[in-house]
Amino acid sequence: MGYQRMRKKRWVPWALVTPALLIIVLTTIYPLLAAFYFSFHKYKLRSPPQFAIQIGDGGLRIDWSLLTLDNYTLAFRDSRFLNSLEVTFWFTVLSVALSVIIGLGIAVVVQKGGRLHSLTKALLIFPFAVSPALKGYSWRFMLNENYGIYDLLIDSLIIKPINAVLAIFNALPFVEIPLLSESIVWLGDRFWALFMLAMSETWGWAPLIALMFVGALGSIDGQIFEAARIDGANRLQIFFRVTLPLLRPVILIVTMLKTIFSLKMFDQVVTMTGGGPVRATQTINYYIHQVGFVRGLDIGYASAQSYILVVVLTICAALYVSLVLNRD
Amino acid sequence: MPASATNHRQNFAKALEIAALLLIISFIVLPIFWLALTAVKPQEKAYTTDILFRPTLDNFEIIFSDTSVLINEGTERERGEVGRDMLPNVVNSVVVSGATILTAIPLATLAAYAFSRYQFLGSGVLLIWILTTQFIPAIVVAIPFFTLFRAIELFGSPLLGSRLGLIIVNMSIILPYAIWMIKGFVDALPTEIEEAAFVDGCNDFQILFFISLPLIRPGVLVASVFAFIMSWNEFLFALIIGREMRTMQVALMTTSGARGIMWEQMAAAGMVVMAPIFVLALFIRKNVVDGLTMGAVK
Repeated sequence: MGYQRMRKKRWVPWALVTPALLIIVLTTIYPLLAAFYFSFHKYKLRSPPQFAIQIGDGGLRIDWSLLTLDNYTLAFRDSRFLNSLEVTFWFTVLSVALSVIIGLGIAVVVQKGGRLHSLTKALLIFPFAVSPALKGYSWRFMLNENYGIYDLLIDSLIIKPINAVLAIFNALPFVEIPLLSESIVWLGDRFWALFMLAMSETWGWAPLIALMFVGALGSIDGQIFEAARIDGANRLQIFFRVTLPLLRPVILIVTMLKTIFSLKMFDQVVTMTGGGPVRATQTINYYIHQVGFVRGLDIGYASAQSYILVVVLTICAALYVSLVLNRD
Repeated sequence: MPASATNHRQNFAKALEIAALLLIISFIVLPIFWLALTAVKPQEKAYTTDILFRPTLDNFEIIFSDTSVLINEGTERERGEVGRDMLPNVVNSVVVSGATILTAIPLATLAAYAFSRYQFLGSGVLLIWILTTQFIPAIVVAIPFFTLFRAIELFGSPLLGSRLGLIIVNMSIILPYAIWMIKGFVDALPTEIEEAAFVDGCNDFQILFFISLPLIRPGVLVASVFAFIMSWNEFLFALIIGREMRTMQVALMTTSGARGIMWEQMAAAGMVVMAPIFVLALFIRKNVVDGLTMGAVK
């Protein structure tokens, strides 16, 4: 970078950058400022808002009495908003943990050479082609308790065998273990709805995360594993003592990145659970959408809530950026 | 350890590995396979887990036909009563995604080139700032643009619910993303050729347009594919800003009626949504990891 001609015409890079910068400023800085401004106002869609900054005959005038903190104080008294924070937290924990662990598992299995291995590796890109909205619908369809293929598979491959084993134990005297239900309505149950929402997210992300790990594993010198093997380490020891520590930086970055995406999750809530049952899957984004555009049409309150989300994401983004920058 | 025991253990490990691979494959493929299967299922079979049936294209016909006709015909496709002609939705998606990349990619390419090849006052900070705009939640962008576009009229109709409105808002995601991605490709290009051209008397713009751009064209193409996929799959803006101008993602919701979602129609619409992205994804297979992490994982 930076050969001699660079110094000569200072305006050249600015000419190249300015059009893009203008659009980015318009489409990101403007809404950030505007939403911040809205968040301190009583602003419902039904009634025209009274803004504090007024431009009248006397020039620019600020009416301080119109500014209010109500939207923010309301947020922390609003049980639905607090619920959405909780849901988002658990959704993020579940989906990040599942995506990273399953992604790591897939990567370790797939990474070795072999025909079936490379076929699987080629298939990892598939879920990327499915949009989140469609993902939500297809999972909802497959989890249907009457004709869903997932429901059928889970019942016949997991629940029934477990119950069969439990039944054997129950045949013993004094043992009575309750059997698992074979008729769970997956999206009608508070826990399972959130869990399945996280699973659908995992279905989309674990394969991509696996691809990232495959790349990282490929760049590790094979001699390290060889040395560990010669020293008598078994597979499990190699995985926990060698592979995992070497992957640590990549795992950190991937976890951070997935956390950011999970915190912003919206599409599947709409198409898969609609926030239900009884708000059990209302994430922040979903609740903000409800407040601003579906139920209350309360732009001021929706803005305040989304600013709380901005603060959380800013912290995550700062962590992520510093992680990425410190790698080089 | 006797040789046969070792063999047994190896065989067992091998079998376990193959089982794991098959499990992974079914985990990945099943939802897509099931969707594709349902899309060609006759209506009466869509609500069963049967896999034996006579495949049909009826569902595609329904989602691309005018419903009023179906109702007037009094056909037995009663379930299709609220299905609607999705062709306009496909057009919306194509126009919005197409226009988004046609605007974003040229601008992003110029900016990315400048960021890669010039060091100017604040360029480092600007670049990080552009990266961080990626983490702004879409809902924050959507709220002010919703109120703004409601107030602005263009050619007699409000920007809210227009293709142009959605294209503008899409820029907030696509442009920063494309700049970083293309910059990665420019960074990877050695500067020697450009230096030689400079020595030969080319000015900055001649170098850019005649030397560099042709060389980074493959990278720009990959970034375009990513940008297209992102705007094609975009849902939140399409819902809030696009509104009645439904893109395909939002139109998926119109397959639901009084009796709930008509899954066979949803599946057919889903195939229409997915198919082009599927093909595109194959082209960028090797770049997906970099594309998602902006090269952070390597």
